Amino acid sequence: MGKQTIISISREYGSGGHEIARKIAQELGFKFYDRSLLDEIATEKNMDVSVLQKYDEKPRNVILSRRVGGHTNSPEEIIAEFQFDFIRKKAEEGGSFVIVGRCAETVLKDFDGLISIFITGERQHKIKRVMDYFGISENEAILKMARHDRKRKQYHNRHSDAKWGDSRLYDLCINSSPLGIDGTIRVLENYIRERLGKTESK
Amino acid sequence: MIAAQILSVIIFIVMFIFIVMDKIERHYVTLGCAALTLIGVFGLVMRNFDAILRTLNVKSIFTLSFWYESGMAEESTSGINWATIFFIAGMMIMVEGMAKAGFFRWLCMLLAKAVHYRTIPLFIAFMLMSFVLAMFIDSITVILFLAAVTIELAKLLKFNPVPMILSEIFCANLGGSATMCGDPPNIIIGTSLKYSFGDFIANTGVMAVISLVFVVFYFLLVFRKELASPANIKELATSMPSPKEAITSKKDFVLSCIIFGCAVLLLVTHAQTGLTVAFIGAVIAIFTLLASGRYALHILKKVDYKTLLFFIGLFVVVGGLEETGILEMIAAWIGSVSQGNLKLMVAIIILVSGAASALVDNIPFAATMVPVIKSLAAAQGVDLSTLAWALSMGTDIGGSATPIGASANVVGTSVAAKSGYVIGWGKYCKTAVPATLIVILISMLIIFARYT
Repeated sequence: MGKQTIISISREYGSGGHEIARKIAQELGFKFYDRSLLDEIATEKNMDVSVLQKYDEKPRNVILSRRVGGHTNSPEEIIAEFQFDFIRKKAEEGGSFVIVGRCAETVLKDFDGLISIFITGERQHKIKRVMDYFGISENEAILKMARHDRKRKQYHNRHSDAKWGDSRLYDLCINSSPLGIDGTIRVLENYIRERLGKTESK
Repeated sequence: MIAAQILSVIIFIVMFIFIVMDKIERHYVTLGCAALTLIGVFGLVMRNFDAILRTLNVKSIFTLSFWYESGMAEESTSGINWATIFFIAGMMIMVEGMAKAGFFRWLCMLLAKAVHYRTIPLFIAFMLMSFVLAMFIDSITVILFLAAVTIELAKLLKFNPVPMILSEIFCANLGGSATMCGDPPNIIIGTSLKYSFGDFIANTGVMAVISLVFVVFYFLLVFRKELASPANIKELATSMPSPKEAITSKKDFVLSCIIFGCAVLLLVTHAQTGLTVAFIGAVIAIFTLLASGRYALHILKKVDYKTLLFFIGLFVVVGGLEETGILEMIAAWIGSVSQGNLKLMVAIIILVSGAASALVDNIPFAATMVPVIKSLAAAQGVDLSTLAWALSMGTDIGGSATPIGASANVVGTSVAAKSGYVIGWGKYCKTAVPATLIVILISMLIIFARYT
């Protein structure tokens, strides 16, 4: 795999998208970026990582922040920009990696090696997964899912012209429920290998 | 008329909501709402073509009094305040020329060197510089450079830049309140109500300088624990960049200093010379562009035309409220609440404008309130200038209380956050709200003592 490959995985809360992304990175031997990229940014900027985590993948607060010219004082937007700069820099360095969320499919859309994937799931499966993972009730899981998906959607749509989850934005959209996590990974890996084969034969 | 009034209020509220939401750039919002005001309110509902012409106010540019005035003629406050637009555009061009020559960075570095990079003297010096620069230059530019240099020095000298940035922001807003050209609300008040640079200095200037003394002591007190100089300060000072390194071109630097000096001189003497701020803005813009030679186009391109368009749209929307009599109704309401008591009117204006400016952009607020106080003064027979100074201090200082109250706050906290120093509302307001209250109180007491 000589050419650069960047796999961006966007996901609905509870769909297992994060686990799928991590396992694909492992299988392909790619670097994996999720929330952990905040650690690298914190070291680079000499910041406390908890400050970055507090505002990670969140939409800006419209009442509590303002923009003047090119300057915004919304920590959510500034930290989003830190992350966009970071993933852009990583992509420019030429390495291959898998990245979860962070509008990567939009930020990196000009890179030839980008494969963008959106993972959805059936509602009952997602609820069960959230309940099992956090040990919470069904109602709590429903509320948690709704809250996270709403924030991801607002965050994404603030930084992208296209809508979060709109199939036209991604190379592939897949429902993880029918095949489960491992089955979905197999399908995605096949797709990625097909794409890579095509790129290399060019 | 009621339909026109309702429509103009709806347009104004929608404009504010869209500005706060920040989904669409704010100049598109005000221009869109301006078009709705002109077509919907004046055209379709009122069918009043004269109101459109009065609000666009283009004719005023072609009158002699726009450029030169022999007496203190009273100008109508209606519609687009082109003098403000011309002056702000001129200042933007001049400041762009100065920044390109390295003036601001040079000044910051020179001052830091003069106080031997020791934290407390640096803290005081930067507060004073922020105040003085903001008297003549827009506070956004002042903070943009000052905050950037503060962070640079903080990294080299290993101190926390946040207290310094917070106090610089506050002093920039305070300095802006001292003169006619320091802050957009003052430019609007000055050009609309025909007050001179000297009038502002003698009134808001005095209040601002007295407040500055208290504010410097206040910030020293609250930040004293965070302002310790590093033990090896002498050693670190030797490795600091020289102020001269900031100057990109000696010729440009000298020229921009001369133009800045002339601008200050013209502003200070404009009541005596009769030259209006619109004239001064146009002249300094022309000289800056001539002095920049082949970079003139580059400087012109860097002008923040979006802000100018924002102002134009805003004046039209406020013109809608004025033409439909809404602002007179607000003035009448303030008049009835205060029952003709000037002290109460001053308190209402300064406190309401202070509180409103802390939460929303103070420029639309000031533009809206100018016709209100004019109408209030006429109806109640009270001194207009007293109300104008209360409005000026309220809008300029109220904006200091929160991170979103004034442009300098947004820019300062943005520069800090981009360098890794996120300043949340709690951290910001903890020191800024008491400082704002101190200045509002001092201003109110001075107004009561001097004018009522």
